[in-house]
Amino acid sequence: MFNWQLHPLTGLNFLGMIISGVIVLLVTLLVVMYTIYFERKVIGWMQLRIGPNRVGPLGLLQSAADVLKLLIKEDIVPAKSDKVLFLVAPVIAFVPSFAVLAVIPFTATHLFTAGLNVGVLYYIALSSITILGIVMGGWASNNKYSLIGGMRSAAQMISYEIPLGMSILGVIMISGSLNLNVIVAHQADHMWNIIPQIIGFVVFIIAGIAELNRTPFDLPEAESELVAGYFTEYTGFRFAFFMLSEYVYVFAISSLATTLFLGGWSGPFLPSWLWFAIKVSACIFFLFWVRATMPRIRGDQLMGFAWKVLIPLALFNIVLTGALSLVA
Amino acid sequence: MLGTGLFKGLAVTFGQMTKKKITLQYPEERPDFGDRFRGIHEFIPELCIVCHQCARICPTSCISLSGTRGDDKKLRIDTYDINFEICILCDLCTEVCPTEAIRMTDQFELAAYSRDDLYKDMNWLYENHKQHGSYDQLQAAKRQAQRDQAAAVSANKGDES
Repeated sequence: MFNWQLHPLTGLNFLGMIISGVIVLLVTLLVVMYTIYFERKVIGWMQLRIGPNRVGPLGLLQSAADVLKLLIKEDIVPAKSDKVLFLVAPVIAFVPSFAVLAVIPFTATHLFTAGLNVGVLYYIALSSITILGIVMGGWASNNKYSLIGGMRSAAQMISYEIPLGMSILGVIMISGSLNLNVIVAHQADHMWNIIPQIIGFVVFIIAGIAELNRTPFDLPEAESELVAGYFTEYTGFRFAFFMLSEYVYVFAISSLATTLFLGGWSGPFLPSWLWFAIKVSACIFFLFWVRATMPRIRGDQLMGFAWKVLIPLALFNIVLTGALSLVA
Repeated sequence: MLGTGLFKGLAVTFGQMTKKKITLQYPEERPDFGDRFRGIHEFIPELCIVCHQCARICPTSCISLSGTRGDDKKLRIDTYDINFEICILCDLCTEVCPTEAIRMTDQFELAAYSRDDLYKDMNWLYENHKQHGSYDQLQAAKRQAQRDQAAAVSANKGDES
């Protein structure tokens, strides 16, 4: 029933797609809400603080209150900005971040998952559209800092996309498919890809953090030098959209790492969705852990690191994987 | 070895998570500032001799006071106001007071909706003395002195008889 792409598009099928899309959106919003809460709590603990604890029991409603605050704020569009681009940019940044979730296999029954046979490619291709939204936002704001932030993110995200894509190639060579469902099924039969693909995993995580613009690669939105970079001029709802797409990507890249390297939903005893949730939470925790630990990387080292370290490493990994599969 | 620093850093932050938090749950839990904290003043009218030392030394001139001479030729305080808009809580008035009529408490919450609320008069400062200041301590010392005096008087009587 859930392999939408295999059936003709009838009215009932279409309705089912819309309903499951809405369900995934609601689940994603809930996940994002508690990802933000979790981030603030974890970083608080690591800095000997308590973290949010006032709004609702244990501060569980803190994110809801923050979003409500953003929604009732004045919506400012700068007078000298490029109006159309300014309004469209947050939408272009957000839509791909949600669309990539379509190919993530959340459960063993592939509930709400499109079994796209080019799933990995679909993810990589769509996630690079977000850069366009960010650059547009930076340009349309007509503000020096926004423009610098937008340019930085364009340079950074495009160069880190290459090692990200190449680190996945090793996994694809092992599983022999671009379909994420098949990749997970292959791992369930054999072993988690993190063991034969450890180099690929390390490159994937580093490039993934850089793709997300998170510390230590948060140069595009560096508060201390660029006053939040490309969303300096954004307020209220539009700002919320940029933040939302950022956190949806945290969820998405953790899901992708889980799917590609950590065996996805596979695991003994517990139901598949719970295994998926546990692994994704661990990945998300790792991102926050890194954020609480590392200082920001220097701008002049950023590009060199991608081109001189990560890409050769990823290439080496591909050659190694190919050689090993020939031998075995 | 190259790269091990990353793991050292990660180990440090992970270890921090289980340590005791240094945050105080502020309105419920109060910080302990110790005796020498320079907080909002307390004022004890019965000790004041209207010498104007505090008003003179105040670097921001935020203290204004007035007194009258009573029948026993002693000066008594009538009004004593501190303007907490400009008071810098420097403790000089306390240092200079010969009778320790003006002291400092460990209170620090001065937030108000109107600037007028920041003019604190003698009654307010005396209330602060009673509630947060050295009132109990002072009363106990006074009672003790009375008791000592009574004891001394009875001892004298015993000597005489």
